[in-house]
Amino acid sequence: MGRYILRRSLLGVATLLLVMFVLHLLTTFAIQLNGNPALAFFGDKVPTESQLAAVETRFGLDDPCYDQTGNPCLGPFVERLGQYAQGDFGTNLRGREVTDIVATAAPNTLKLFLVVTIVWFVLGMGLGTAAARRRDRSADHGIRLTSVLIDAFPIFVLLLVYRYVFAVPLNGWAEDTFGAGSLPALWFRPSFDDDHPWATLLVPGILLGLAGSAAFIRLVRASQLESYAGDHVRTARSRGLNERHVVTHHVIRNSAVPVVTAVGLTFTEALAGAVVTEGMMNIYGMGGVLWEAVRAADVALILGIVTILAAVTVVVMLVVDIAYAALDPRIRYA
Amino acid sequence: MIPVTETLIPPADAERSAGDVLLEVEDLAVEFRSDDGAVRAVDGLSYRVEAGRTLALVGESGCGKSVSSLAVMGLLPPTARVVRGTARYRGTDLLALSPTRHRAHCGTHVAMVFQDALAALNPVHTVGYQLTESLRSRTGTSRREARRRAVELLDLVKVPNAAQRVDEYPHQFSGGMRQRVMIASALALDPDVLIADEPTTALDVTVQAQVLRLLAEIQAERQMGLVLITHDLGVVAGVADDVTVMYAGRAVEHAPVRDLYAAPAHPYTRALLRSVPRLDSGAEVAGGRLPVVPGRPPAPGRVPSGCSFHPRCDMAQDLCRTVEPPLDDVAPGRSSACHFAAELLGGARA
Ligand SMILES: Nc1ncnc2c1ncn2[C@@H]1O[C@H](COP(=O)(O)OP(=O)(O)OP(=O)(O)O)[C@@H](O)[C@H]1O
Ligand code: SF4
Ligand SMILES: [Mg+2]
Repeated sequence: MGRYILRRSLLGVATLLLVMFVLHLLTTFAIQLNGNPALAFFGDKVPTESQLAAVETRFGLDDPCYDQTGNPCLGPFVERLGQYAQGDFGTNLRGREVTDIVATAAPNTLKLFLVVTIVWFVLGMGLGTAAARRRDRSADHGIRLTSVLIDAFPIFVLLLVYRYVFAVPLNGWAEDTFGAGSLPALWFRPSFDDDHPWATLLVPGILLGLAGSAAFIRLVRASQLESYAGDHVRTARSRGLNERHVVTHHVIRNSAVPVVTAVGLTFTEALAGAVVTEGMMNIYGMGGVLWEAVRAADVALILGIVTILAAVTVVVMLVVDIAYAALDPRIRYA
Repeated sequence: MIPVTETLIPPADAERSAGDVLLEVEDLAVEFRSDDGAVRAVDGLSYRVEAGRTLALVGESGCGKSVSSLAVMGLLPPTARVVRGTARYRGTDLLALSPTRHRAHCGTHVAMVFQDALAALNPVHTVGYQLTESLRSRTGTSRREARRRAVELLDLVKVPNAAQRVDEYPHQFSGGMRQRVMIASALALDPDVLIADEPTTALDVTVQAQVLRLLAEIQAERQMGLVLITHDLGVVAGVADDVTVMYAGRAVEHAPVRDLYAAPAHPYTRALLRSVPRLDSGAEVAGGRLPVVPGRPPAPGRVPSGCSFHPRCDMAQDLCRTVEPPLDDVAPGRSSACHFAAELLGGARA
């Protein structure tokens, strides 16, 4: 088990480095092809040579390699790795520490994630289990149809429709019925409010969770059906155990391995969804900040945030791998 | 919740004494739904299991041995259904009970050992857990007591180092040891009747013999009724008291094991016996190959008219193609479903 975790951890670190390197290459080539992002610092003003040079130095863009199209710029990459290792993620274009921005934005993203995770986990396990247990009966058909319908509406469509069609009338109705500052009125606020993070995150979180649950429902159903067909389930029944015990200890328990794997995948999907959701609902979170950073061509901020998100993903994958081994003794003792 | 012991475990077991009729299967018929209509996998099977005796259920692959056992246990797949017949445990027809009440008899009264122990045991639970989960879930036995019982059960089936091995997982056991675990788990609630469905076919020959001997010992010691399912008549000789030979979903011959070996009363049994290697007559193994029963058994749903064995029978007459022979008594304690059973037996005696 110890060696397994060590192996997985090393693999995780390697993955993270690879992601960072690819990201570095992409931004390097973007700079080489599109011109100097340091200009973004000045907005509409035209800087002098020396002003520009000063800004380039400050953001580490002064290396001549950025003028040579095709040069992978390994020097600045190694330099940046060294800074990251010391906890220095640089500053954004306005001079604010990236770590400081993350520290204020991350809690909102975490809240959003919590809502999302609860929604898709409850929907996925609940509906997936119900569908598997009533295989080929109307409940099963209904649940499968619902999951396909959800898939037909990608998250940004859901959010657009919600925000521009439903949010305003719902919000108006809630203000009329419960009062302007009431909780229901906050729920249906079309955009995020820093003073009431939970209330204004709830509906976007539920929508994002709903979007993520569709594939998860199908996966839970499929993996449980596989368990149901297993000989070990028949053996458990032959011991005279009641059906509820059989379902929890021999069906759900055995389908936990593929389900946990899917949790990792769904997590990355939800991460992508969070970027879109935060951007569209003006939520001040990691995704919202990244969304703004991309629009402002703020290279240091983009690199910093994407690196942190990638690190989080790698850690989640590692946790999934460890859970996987904890759940399946055939892996643990391999 | 209703107290577990009251609802889940039917009234305390009567003492088992040799000769008690424990399980009586009568005229059992099972159908599978398929694209071209219903298909009979078992059609009018009857047998009877007594305390302290072993009944061997013998027949070629596909004759319905497993399906009939699963029907008795209420474990048929959703595509199958019992269309006729009864399976009475000490007088109670299990097949007439609700699924929940039927389930309650499983494990305690009738238990089953499956063929492929690797698939039949759950890979994610320890052997100890699986040995005693019925005990814990149905009688509320404490964790500590259950563990003690698990070790006892492993000792009973002669797994070495039992105290240590209870915490291991099925994949850490060898095939033979795993099959012993399978047997131990079926014995956990001290069942009256144990149905062992080809418990040794997946094992190599020496291990096979050990596991069979173990089963026979435990059966004798506990005065259990044992149904031993096999397609190998050779396996039966040392272990069984009675034999029921199945062909195409029904019983074609029933006899005490000695009588059957001495003089089969059905041509199919005779053909099966010829395919068993015998130490005393080297002649039959001449050429290095054992004779097998010529031809193939019919697929369910394509059972021939008259006697279902007639296309493969070397004694078949015109009568056999049209008239189905009933399973009739041919001698005390013996029955056969062949029009010419008397001739067969007479010929053997002459
Ligand atoms: N799930 C199923 N669906 C359809 N038909 C089935 C199914 N299971 C069994 N059958 C049919 O029922 C018949 C009896 O099968 P069964 O498994 O009882 O045979 P068996 O005597 O146990 O053979 P074996 O020695 O191979 O285990 C087979 O001929 C098979 O065609
Ligand atoms: S009834 Fe006829 S075909 Fe059937 S086993 Fe007897 S002799 Fe053979
Ligand atoms: Mg079988």
